Amino acid sequence: MVKVLVIDNSEVIRNLLTEYLTDLGYVVENAINGLDGIEKALSGDYDVVICDIHMPKRNGYQVFSEVSGQKPNLPFIMTDSLPDTLAERAVNEGAYACLSKPFNLDQVKKTIDQLLAKARTK
Amino acid sequence: MTLLKFANSLKLRTKFGIPISVLLVASIVVITSYLIDRQADGYRRELETSGETMIAILANNAESGVIFESTYELDEILQLLSQFEVVEYACITNKEDIILSEIGQALQGYEQTKPLYHDASDDEGHHNFFIRNEYGQEFIELSNPIVTRIQNLGRENLGITGGLDNSFKQSYVTEEIGRIKLVLNLETVNQSIAESRRTAILIAVVVLLITIIMLTFFVRFITKPVKMLVDITDQVSRGDLTQKVELDQNDEIGHLARTFNRMIESLKHSRDEIEEYNRNLEQKIVERTLELEEIQAQLVQSEKLSAIGQLAAGVAHELNNPLGGILGYAQFALEKLNKSQTAEETARDKGKYIRYLTDIEVQARRCKTIVQNLLRFSRSSKTTDFSDVDINQVIGDTITFVEHQLHMNQIQLKMELHKNLPTIQGDTGQLQQVLTNLILNAMHASPPDTEIQVISRFSPALGEFGGTVEILIIDQGSGISQENVKKIFEPFFTTKQVGKGTGLGLSVSYGIVKDHGGEIKVESKPGEGSTFIVILPVQKPQPASDNVSNELQTKN
Ligand SMILES: Nc1ncnc2c1ncn2[C@@H]1O[C@H](COP(=O)(O)OP(=O)(O)OP(=O)(O)O)[C@@H](O)[C@H]1O
Ligand SMILES: [Mg+2]
Repeated sequence: MVKVLVIDNSEVIRNLLTEYLTDLGYVVENAINGLDGIEKALSGDYDVVICDIHMPKRNGYQVFSEVSGQKPNLPFIMTDSLPDTLAERAVNEGAYACLSKPFNLDQVKKTIDQLLAKARTK
Repeated sequence: MTLLKFANSLKLRTKFGIPISVLLVASIVVITSYLIDRQADGYRRELETSGETMIAILANNAESGVIFESTYELDEILQLLSQFEVVEYACITNKEDIILSEIGQALQGYEQTKPLYHDASDDEGHHNFFIRNEYGQEFIELSNPIVTRIQNLGRENLGITGGLDNSFKQSYVTEEIGRIKLVLNLETVNQSIAESRRTAILIAVVVLLITIIMLTFFVRFITKPVKMLVDITDQVSRGDLTQKVELDQNDEIGHLARTFNRMIESLKHSRDEIEEYNRNLEQKIVERTLELEEIQAQLVQSEKLSAIGQLAAGVAHELNNPLGGILGYAQFALEKLNKSQTAEETARDKGKYIRYLTDIEVQARRCKTIVQNLLRFSRSSKTTDFSDVDINQVIGDTITFVEHQLHMNQIQLKMELHKNLPTIQGDTGQLQQVLTNLILNAMHASPPDTEIQVISRFSPALGEFGGTVEILIIDQGSGISQENVKKIFEPFFTTKQVGKGTGLGLSVSYGIVKDHGGEIKVESKPGEGSTFIVILPVQKPQPASDNVSNELQTKN
């Protein structure tokens, strides 16, 4: 069972991803802001984290760097609603990918699949 | 004191002229009258002396004539006098004072006054008098005794008593046998004196005239350059430094003029220097101002860009989330529909589809609201045609829109409108938008059973404004934290739930009020409520700038 953590302050996006990924057979949990996300990512046992960049109380980059500092192997997929240096930095520092909103759902699926396949080959 | 003042107020010419003329006339008068008096004196003395001589001679010659009472002989003697003009009258009398002979007209009714130069009478019976008749004519009267010498002996024979003792001692006795009187007219003398006086006066007048003419000439010689100096000083003092004293003189005044010219020259020089300096300064200021303006323009431009960038970012951020939802749900639904083979399967998922579509609708609406607000936001930065606006009217209109919502939220509205509010220059629609947003914001922040106050008031003069109209919206709601107070005017800043607010309301309102030349102030205490104050100038000052910048006016 693959566990996914969705960190996004946008309720719509959270709901959508939860519904979609659940439908794909993943176990999905949500965090509604950066701080919440860090807490959950560190305490929970996730395979993938999908994390938005623009969020109140810690932005996505802060979440990524803080979490991967302690869990370097936890893969991150960043999302952003506009081209942002923060997302770029996260990718440069090891985040798996960055998806631009509004993203296609199959794009999300493809990225997670690739990521999991890569993790498995390791 | 006043005399001195008067003298000081006189012109230079008069100051010179009057004393010199007075001095001159006085000295002429004194000198000539002294000389004339001396001359008159001399004349009279001479006349008297020659009269005395004449009368003595005549007295001698008249002896026999008187003795024999020979009128003929005496007439002849007196006739000698008639050729002299000065002789007014002459007569010879005998012992009994009977006139034996006379020439001329005897004076009548005169008085004999003081003697002239000689004593009035002496031992030998000479008499001198000065006479002034009733017409004021002056005369000298001389009279001499006519004597004869008689032998003492003879005298005794004639029965004249005398002592024997004396008879040998005196051989002759002089006896007065008559008198000769001579009246000399002083008129001719006086006339010549008067003549001299007239001549002297004439000379004095002529000299005075010449003096005055010469004085005027000479004084003008002095005063003309002085006046020129004065005139030019006057012009120079009024700032005209192009003047020059044109004087070709080698005296003190010429020296003064040259010094003065030098002074003007150096004055002009330093003034030119100052002007040059000023010009440079102005030039520098203009340059600096231009530079600054350029920098400012750049700043404004970059700020604008950043504002636009921010706006774009905000728009993207705001839009992309609902769009992501829309896109996602649409794809999800499509995918599901494509996958499902049977109608049963589809029917089983119907509830999901409905939820997805509802979500899509909600998110699409949200996108619509954002776009609408955005359009309003961009429109607010355009200058519009302003007209007279009655703020109370605007408040009333706005209230009718929100009344229902307030009522539904159990919030009371209290209004306090200033009765004689002046109209302002503005756009009714835009101002209504501002008020709607402020009242709705207050409503959103207010728990049920609280009060919102809307107040309009007039402040006659505040700062550079010619008076302002103010609208206060006071709520008893949540208040705004210190941190958020700085951000509430930023576009897309909102603390409201998704779907409830776009965060554009206050930034749009701020832009509108700025366009009206006014400002929005906030006072807020978390937990107690907030007060928003819209300040609008009665006369709109400058045309609104097209700045999108958000100058925040916040107050805690
Ligand atoms: N009267 C008020 N009391 C408390 N908070 C307020 C008040 N007015 C505004 N705010 C705060 O300022 C934020 C920004 O207000 P603004 O009007 O700009 O946006 P909004 O009301 O959130 O959204 P929109 O007006 O676009 O629907 C609000 O979300 C709220 O947090
Ligand atoms: Mg609002």
